[in-house]
Amino acid sequence: MLFKFNLKRLSTQIAQYPKPLKGDWLVFLMSVVVVIYLFQNLWITQAASQLNIRQGNELVGTYDLNQTKEIHLHGRIGDTIIQIEQGKVRFKQSPCNNQYCLHQGWLSRAGQVAICIPNQVSLQLISNRGPEYDSLNY
Amino acid sequence: MQLFIRLFVLFSAFTLLSCTKEEPIYNTQSYVFGTLVDITIYGEPQLEAENMASEMMRMFQNLHNRLHAWRPSEIKTLNHVFSKGKSPASIDADISKMIAEATTLSIDSHGAFNPAIGQLIALWGFQHDEFKPVKINPNKIQALLAEKPQMVDIVLKEGKAFSNNPAVKLDLGGYAKGYALDQALSYLRKSGVKNALINIGGNIIALGKRGDKPWRVGIQHPRKPEAIATLELPSGWAIGTSGDYQRYFELNGKRYCHIINPETGYPVEGVQSVTVLIPPQSNAGVLSDVSSKPIFIAKTSKRAQAAADMHVNDYLVIESDYNIFASPAMAKRLTWLDKAAASHVVQIQP
Repeated sequence: MLFKFNLKRLSTQIAQYPKPLKGDWLVFLMSVVVVIYLFQNLWITQAASQLNIRQGNELVGTYDLNQTKEIHLHGRIGDTIIQIEQGKVRFKQSPCNNQYCLHQGWLSRAGQVAICIPNQVSLQLISNRGPEYDSLNY
Repeated sequence: MQLFIRLFVLFSAFTLLSCTKEEPIYNTQSYVFGTLVDITIYGEPQLEAENMASEMMRMFQNLHNRLHAWRPSEIKTLNHVFSKGKSPASIDADISKMIAEATTLSIDSHGAFNPAIGQLIALWGFQHDEFKPVKINPNKIQALLAEKPQMVDIVLKEGKAFSNNPAVKLDLGGYAKGYALDQALSYLRKSGVKNALINIGGNIIALGKRGDKPWRVGIQHPRKPEAIATLELPSGWAIGTSGDYQRYFELNGKRYCHIINPETGYPVEGVQSVTVLIPPQSNAGVLSDVSSKPIFIAKTSKRAQAAADMHVNDYLVIESDYNIFASPAMAKRLTWLDKAAASHVVQIQP
């Protein structure tokens, strides 16, 4: 069923209502506050949308996670390959000895971090909402 | 209706303001002490924050160079002196203070924290930037244990040092990062900074807050690339974690971590991580670095005693996903991100 918007009829309908009292405004005010509060606190996307890649003390870039892409970096000891694959990311190849960074596997959730200390490359997944914490006690 | 419009404008302005307001926060990362250093400064002009952060990075790099255990450094020179018997050599006043402090803490821990076992650490191959699996010779371990290198063997007198035991070889790997945190905090306070968070390889110290909220730190999951829990780090508090995942090698499917039990000479098994929380005091950073080790090394039944010996009230021990132990004080502070892990937490009775 199609709802026809009739401004004239609406305005006559509104005119029939009594003038809002102070309490009505208070209810209105509170509902707006509640809506803003809920919006800011519950608008959560746990899946990460973006990826920060850092090399040494430089931010190499912020990448969209929803793509298929390989990023080649020349780090302190050699070449690192980072693979982005539709919503997730991993270290695909690293010149380091212990390969801890590869063992971290795929990252997909906001707040996840993988670091390659020997080659000084770090991956950090971020969401629109910002991190759950300010620094990681790794 | 006019009132409605006024209110609407007011709210729009309020919402827009809260959305667009940039936080006065500066963050930078660098690699020092063979690990990641992360500095966050809140509420200072960007340029000043940047300058202070680079000054601290310089301080850290300088300390790292001076304390390095296997590259040419003041510590390496000192180790050479120690190996020569009782011939005193001059040392800098701050290094003398560090050795004295490390000795006190080593005594408190009944030798579980023992920075004098550099030879043992080298034997296990951990004195390398990038180490390889080592085939261990049990006889060599027993020979090194028999020499009993201890911190109390070191004699500090009138700006000079020597060792009563030539087997003493300092490795301040479990102390230096914490010391650097204390130095950073006093530098920030002297510079008039009110709010900052300094993280050196997982040892973190807090100053002030992040705006109106306390700083919040994540505790690393020992087997996943994410935080297992978070907690508030109030001003002046420090937190530190020792983990079997930070430096280790695998040989024939077995993990050998960098935390070596000075009593047995072998890497500790059965513990994935120990986190300690230290209240404000002049050496909170050092304590956050050092205190986790004796708890990590202690047998399950002796953990509460090891924590008490180090005066630690807040600590968390993760043996595996299903075996997690927290002191009652620590349990109250934690917010678990890993809900499955949260259901396996057992409180340690002191």
